[in-house]
Order: sequence, then C-alpha cells, then structure tokens
Amino acid sequence: MGKKERMAAGATIEAGNKSGRNKASAMQTAWVLNLLTDLAFNLLIFFVVCASTTPEKGRPQHMPSASKDKANETKSQTVEVALTRTTVTINGAEVASKDFTGKLKELLDVKTKPEDRIVVVKSTKDTPYRHWIRVTGMVEEAGGVITLQLEEEKEITVR
Amino acid sequence: MRFQRRKLGITPPYVSMADIAFNLVLFFVILAKTQDDSHIVWEPADAPGAKPAPVSRVSISVDKDNRVYFNGKQAGVRDLASLVEKELANLNPKDRAVLLKIHKETLAATFEPILEAVSQAGGEVVHVIEDERK
Repeated sequence: MGKKERMAAGATIEAGNKSGRNKASAMQTAWVLNLLTDLAFNLLIFFVVCASTTPEKGRPQHMPSASKDKANETKSQTVEVALTRTTVTINGAEVASKDFTGKLKELLDVKTKPEDRIVVVKSTKDTPYRHWIRVTGMVEEAGGVITLQLEEEKEITVR
Repeated sequence: MRFQRRKLGITPPYVSMADIAFNLVLFFVILAKTQDDSHIVWEPADAPGAKPAPVSRVSISVDKDNRVYFNGKQAGVRDLASLVEKELANLNPKDRAVLLKIHKETLAATFEPILEAVSQAGGEVVHVIEDERK
C-alpha cells in the first residue's frame, strides 16, 4: 500500500467514526428533547390545575338554632333586626346601612354576657340573600350572636 | 452442546415511568379534591369578612333558577336535614363545615329553610361569598 492509499483509507475510517458519533449525538439530543417536552407538559398541567382550583372564600357563621318560639320568649332581652327587600330596622326603627354597625354596637356594648348578645334576625320572604349576608356580617362585626326567627308555616285547608 | 441464553438488553424507561406516576398522582388528587358542581349556575354575594373556606364534605348550592343542590345533585329542601345528617355522621365537630353556595338574588323564602336544615343537622354553616373590599 502506497502512502497515498494509506492516507485515503485512514480518512474513510475517520469519516465513518464521525458519522457514527453524529448519529449518537443526534439520538441523545432527541432523547433529551423528549424528556424536556414531557417535563414542560407536566409543569403546564400542574399550573393549569393549580389555577383552576383556586380555594373558595367563605364566612363561617355560628348559629345557635333557628327558633320559632324561643325568639318570642326572650324578646324583651334581645335585639331584633328586621329585614325587608331594601330596608333594615333595629328594634323597629329603620336604620341606614352605613350607621347600622355603630348603632348595633351601642346596644350590644351594654350587654356583657354572650347569651345577652343574641340578635334575632327576622326577614320577609322577599329579602334577597345579598342583603341578608351583608347585614348578618355587620351583626357579627358588632359582636352579636345571630339567631334566625322564621315565619311559621300556616296551613290553609281548602275545601 | 449448551447454548448460553442471550441477556435481554431492555431497560425499563424509568424517566417515562416517573412521568406516568406523576400524572396519575395529579389525576387522583384532582378527583379526590373536586366535587363536580360546575353545571350549577350561580353568582356569589359580595360581603366583607371572607376567609379561605375549609375543606368540606358537604356543599349545598342554590342556582339562579332557585333550584337546590346537595353535593352537586338536585335535592328538595325538605330532605336536606336528613341528607346532611347522614353525610356528617361520625365526623368531628371541626369537620362538620357545610359550604353554602347561594346565588345572590335568592330570596329568604328559599335560603332560610336551608339554614334551618343545616342547623338542625348539626352542621357548621360556611357561606361562600366574594370578598368585598371596603
């Protein structure tokens, strides 16, 4: 084998090695890309799930019991808040929404025992929930303990 | 003549396995956490004092058309007390929260009997509301 021939053979082997190395590195790159895509996809799902299940916000409300008769028995000691569709009254006197907490606080501050701080909430049937929840929130803010007074069902017999 | 068995050159795809396991965990966590009540159309009322609601086994919803749902299924108000009682049986007082998702325009004629039923069943009422900024 001449010198030129030997050089040519060497170049072929080197080229072969190079193409093998290229193939291997291409495969490795594809594998890594595959992993990265999986990872990105998983992260995407994770954050979408986190965003969609935002915790709900709520207000716990402790209510001793919904009473039909007890409210009448203790009427003289407790504060009565009456709600209609748009108005709110404290012990029969209509109060503006902005003054409600202050006035109720004045009435409740005199009472030291928790059982005396009961506020009987009575609402007409057409009182919307948004109005009721605002007022009961203010009652709690003033330090009152809410008790509902429900209207008794009247049975009417039709002959 | 004895032939030697060829060893199989298969390695389990550990990375993909981890992906699958992670996806399964996510799937079951979501399943366990969410009660499907996405079909109920309601708008929460705005009120101050909202805190993150506790995890609860019971939710009662009232939609825009005044229909009452117990854990995503339509129910009658008269049956609520017994349904809540059954669901909360053997639970600690701490875990007796009942989420109330009441549409803001619902009238007292509908929501007051619900409050009464929850109170009768010994549930702790949690009103789901939108926090109102003062």
